Amino acid sequence: MLLGTISTTLFLLLRLSGDPAILIAGEGASPETIDAIRADYGFDKSLIQQYFIFIWDICRLDFGISLINSQPALGFVLQYLPSTLKLTFLAIFFNTILAIPAGVWLGAKPGQRRRRILSTIVSVAQGTPAYVIGLLLIQIFAVWFNVLPSIAGSGTWAWVLPTATLTFALSPNLIRVVAASIEETTAQDYFRTAKANGASPSVLLLKHSLPNALLSTTSLLGAQFAFLLSGALITEFIFAWPGLGLILVQSITNLDFPTIQATVFVVAYLVFFVNLFLDQIFRFADPRLRKSQV
Amino acid sequence: MKKTLMPFTRRDISIKKSTSPVILKFSAAILTALFLIAIFQSFLYTVDPAFLDLDARLLAPSIGGPWLGTDALGQDVFSRVIAGFRWSLGIGTIGTTIGVLIGLSLGIGAAWSRNRMRVILSRIIDIGISFPYLIIAVTIVTVVGRGFWPLALTLGLVCWPTIARVVYAETLTLREREFVTAARLFGIGSFTSIVTHILPALRPTIQVVTAFTFAELLIAESGLSFLGLGAPLGTPTWGNMLNDSRTYMAQAPWMMLGPVVAIIVTIFAANLLGEGLNAREKSKSGRVSQ
Repeated sequence: MLLGTISTTLFLLLRLSGDPAILIAGEGASPETIDAIRADYGFDKSLIQQYFIFIWDICRLDFGISLINSQPALGFVLQYLPSTLKLTFLAIFFNTILAIPAGVWLGAKPGQRRRRILSTIVSVAQGTPAYVIGLLLIQIFAVWFNVLPSIAGSGTWAWVLPTATLTFALSPNLIRVVAASIEETTAQDYFRTAKANGASPSVLLLKHSLPNALLSTTSLLGAQFAFLLSGALITEFIFAWPGLGLILVQSITNLDFPTIQATVFVVAYLVFFVNLFLDQIFRFADPRLRKSQV
Repeated sequence: MKKTLMPFTRRDISIKKSTSPVILKFSAAILTALFLIAIFQSFLYTVDPAFLDLDARLLAPSIGGPWLGTDALGQDVFSRVIAGFRWSLGIGTIGTTIGVLIGLSLGIGAAWSRNRMRVILSRIIDIGISFPYLIIAVTIVTVVGRGFWPLALTLGLVCWPTIARVVYAETLTLREREFVTAARLFGIGSFTSIVTHILPALRPTIQVVTAFTFAELLIAESGLSFLGLGAPLGTPTWGNMLNDSRTYMAQAPWMMLGPVVAIIVTIFAANLLGEGLNAREKSKSGRVSQ
């Protein structure tokens, strides 16, 4: 369903946006060349026919040949998938271990001065786009102190800045969500009862607060994962990171339509599976949902 | 002793209530000021933002001279940051308006309709939400072309799903409320009921969502320009300026300063406005929601 919509949107976008044959041939190409390209790519058929050919190609996972390097577009794109995935997992990992403790600390006793300072910092950081963070980190660590490489490809250290950028870009949001749900539980009756019965702070936290925070946290982490697959675009561009984002930007600059199609499709596919996976996790994590299903 | 009995003192509650109007006024004031800058920008220029002075390339900031420095073409950074306000806020405003209109009509439509129609409409919203919208925006912009209007329309057309979902959920509870049912029993038509009962009740929600969407579109717009996919090259926008500054990070770090501060302040103000509105709504209705 989702994939169908995406492919239809893509098709309409790519086919109805002026004559693709002219785009491929470049300006000033002779009419014969343009006609040849048109026949080659099947642009001379009717739109309906083209659409079915397009869908058939997608079903066969055939996105055509990249216009730039003459490789099959899908294989070319998939080569870059692992490095994007690695970056995504690293960022999610560090995000989790940084943001959840911070969120718990912040949410346990809101209103304290120390915590309000942190929460102000967090809300400023939340409004800072990832590429601004990336640029500032490069400026500080690569230009001024010259301790970390700013572009990809030079060993383990090259991972530090991109990961840090994505972590700092994602964590404010997560911190706030965790803090909000912890704060919310402290206002609940069952929490007060437990506290009045003399439950120790750690029991209160582990047994009563955290499980409640699990739901919103998981849902946000899933959204962030989906965001990273598409939104790491800009971060990958800054650090010249060889991943899906960089490929997408490059193929767009070069008007390499088969590669654009393949990239968008791969990302949409991943996002789709992440969402599917999340639904299962929810059913597992939230007894209320399980009950309503039965 | 007292503390264990009443873990939530009056102070905890009063902090929340007293801060929200301050946040609201503060952020509204900043945003108004920024919009005024965008409208009356030409009075604030020290130099024409398009003016090239190849003798004055990469000048460091100085008092009396170009006080945020100049870029690689000798253009004044301060003037270009000011000029960027009109671009960013303009796109943000138009995009948000379009997004809110689409989201509102889809959300209300889905919640108000019945049976198959509701399934179809809410399915559309679900699909929209799981769409990686930045990627779609990038693709549309490539095809449609760069510039102010393409960018504003594209962002407006991709940002509606979250709005639609919030409106949908809110309308769904509203239509079961007594005053709406009463209106229906009195024989008041759907359209009238939506306009006179649902829309006013939705107003606080819409305000909050609008502020957050605005902030999100600012990020998306400057991001696209930064990638070289948004604004035409050479247009004074924050994204373009940041992209230019990447080449000269070692020689001219000041090229980054102006746009970075402008972006952070604007987005922060918009987010703060959204939070302030949210806090006000919550303290009014006195309910604890997510």
